[in-house]
Amino acid sequence: MKFYCLCFSALMLTSASLLAVEKPRRIVSIGLCTDQLLLMLADREQIASLSVWAQDENMSYMIDAVGDIPLNRSSVEEIIQFEPDLVVASEFVAWDTVKFLRQLGYPVKQMPVATSVAQIYQQLELFGEWTGNQQRAQATIAQMQSRLADIHARYAERPVKSVIIYSPNGFTIGANTLEDDLFIQAGYRNLAAEMGIEGFQAISLEKLVASDPDVLQIDRGLSQQDSLATAYLGHPVLARLTRQREYLDIPTRLRICAGPMIVDAVELMAARR
Amino acid sequence: MNLKAVDTRLLIAILLPLLLVVLAFALGVGAVDIDLGKAIRDIVNQQTSIEMLILHDIRLPRALLAGLVGGTLGLAGAALQGLLRNPLAEPGIIGISNGAALGAVIVFYYGLAGSAWFVLPLGGLVGALLAVSCIFLLVGQSRSIITLILAGVAINAIGGALIALALNFAESPYAMQEIVFWLLGSVANRSFNELYIALPFLVLGWAMMLYCGRFLNALTLGEETAKSLGFNVVRMRLVLILGVAASVGAAVSVAGNIGFIGLVVPHLVRPFVAYEPRRLLLASGLVGAILLLIADIAVQSLPTAAEMKLGVITSLVGAPFFLLLILKSRNTLQ
Repeated sequence: MKFYCLCFSALMLTSASLLAVEKPRRIVSIGLCTDQLLLMLADREQIASLSVWAQDENMSYMIDAVGDIPLNRSSVEEIIQFEPDLVVASEFVAWDTVKFLRQLGYPVKQMPVATSVAQIYQQLELFGEWTGNQQRAQATIAQMQSRLADIHARYAERPVKSVIIYSPNGFTIGANTLEDDLFIQAGYRNLAAEMGIEGFQAISLEKLVASDPDVLQIDRGLSQQDSLATAYLGHPVLARLTRQREYLDIPTRLRICAGPMIVDAVELMAARR
Repeated sequence: MNLKAVDTRLLIAILLPLLLVVLAFALGVGAVDIDLGKAIRDIVNQQTSIEMLILHDIRLPRALLAGLVGGTLGLAGAALQGLLRNPLAEPGIIGISNGAALGAVIVFYYGLAGSAWFVLPLGGLVGALLAVSCIFLLVGQSRSIITLILAGVAINAIGGALIALALNFAESPYAMQEIVFWLLGSVANRSFNELYIALPFLVLGWAMMLYCGRFLNALTLGEETAKSLGFNVVRMRLVLILGVAASVGAAVSVAGNIGFIGLVVPHLVRPFVAYEPRRLLLASGLVGAILLLIADIAVQSLPTAAEMKLGVITSLVGAPFFLLLILKSRNTLQ
């Protein structure tokens, strides 16, 4: 009993000292989206490790900022070697690792999934608080807001176009998703949402063609390597469908994570309207 | 002899129109209802419309591929049963299809398929050929059903494990989930691209198998008799095996491993061709095409959340049939 009391008070002391220090100093991120938020909002000295995805040229927007920061494959063994005082992950990413780390007593913060631009602002604020970089977060939010307002104003005259998105394995993206909000921000009507599709859902090639969109957006997904999943996007009917219509190919790194880079995606989309 | 020839013609006169009817029916089935009349008019007038795109670019290659792959498997099943003189021989059961899938997987996921159009079906061919060679090494001249089936079990297990291994090492993050396609097969979302790359290999394989018809007839009387009838047994066997490997290899490389068609079809057809291997070949091809088209209509019509793989249906029908055949031949198994 005495031993447990001792442990408990030791724990209280450490957490108290952590609070006093305020800014975590050895942050480990175990997922692409938190990697990028860390690189954008935290000081370089605060980052102990990022996930390997931070260096994926297809998916990472912040690839040039990674430098010599050590990378991890989100396994518990690797992570605890960095003796992190904060581990950040997106919700649903490496949930088994997160559970294990919590059992071992490491502080883990999970970022909820953002389904709108408004939620991205909330996420940035939250991330600023976690890492002790509130001011930088506020500045980033303000910059996003002014850029988005500028894009709205610049393309307000152009007509609203209908769009549908096609991604690997024949999935489309419907209502209640960040992608849907990006379409709205860029001045498009998402036909998948109008069909009653919510979230990510498979759509048959026939239904996709029959939806008769003004613009077809192809999502190259996680990889450029050959696979049956990406072969869906190479079906010749898509090339023929887009012969008289527009075709959008927004780089994955601009839209895979909720963050400031989505403004680039909105700008690309709005400019093509 | 004359009577039989008429019978063959009659059989084709029945099967060919039936195939065309099923094909036409398959073109009418899909995820959306379209005005087929308008679609056909637009195709004839070379006008691009939604209906035309759906019929010509999505449904037509899919249905044609289902027919071609089904025909290949039926024909190859009949050829293998004749060659091995064994009623349970079939590309899937004896491991040729898994061998072909392994070859195709290695070519496809390791970035080789883009180098030339023929590389993917060639990968399937080489894999199929390796599997057949293993079968011959294991079974040799034995006509024992048990030896053949056990060799098939072993080759299938090795093939399946190597497919999984190749997918695990592939760089694409999607690769591992796609094992379902390679093991169960599908023609969904396939286009004329896949059809064109497979077709030369399919046609070549069919020609080689059909060329061996008379040899298979002679072989029913035993190898010595075939030799005495003037056949170069070694050469004919090689032609037949290459034919099976080319066509099954190409079929699997674009549609995955669709099981049991090659087993069931020759058994259904055999009574109608007076148990003559040569006449069995063409008829098995036609019936195989018809059955796989029907299976593909079924997977599109069933209200499943994600579309079922073709191999699920063919195995559900074919595997009990396989058991039945084993029960029937139990006496000879001892």
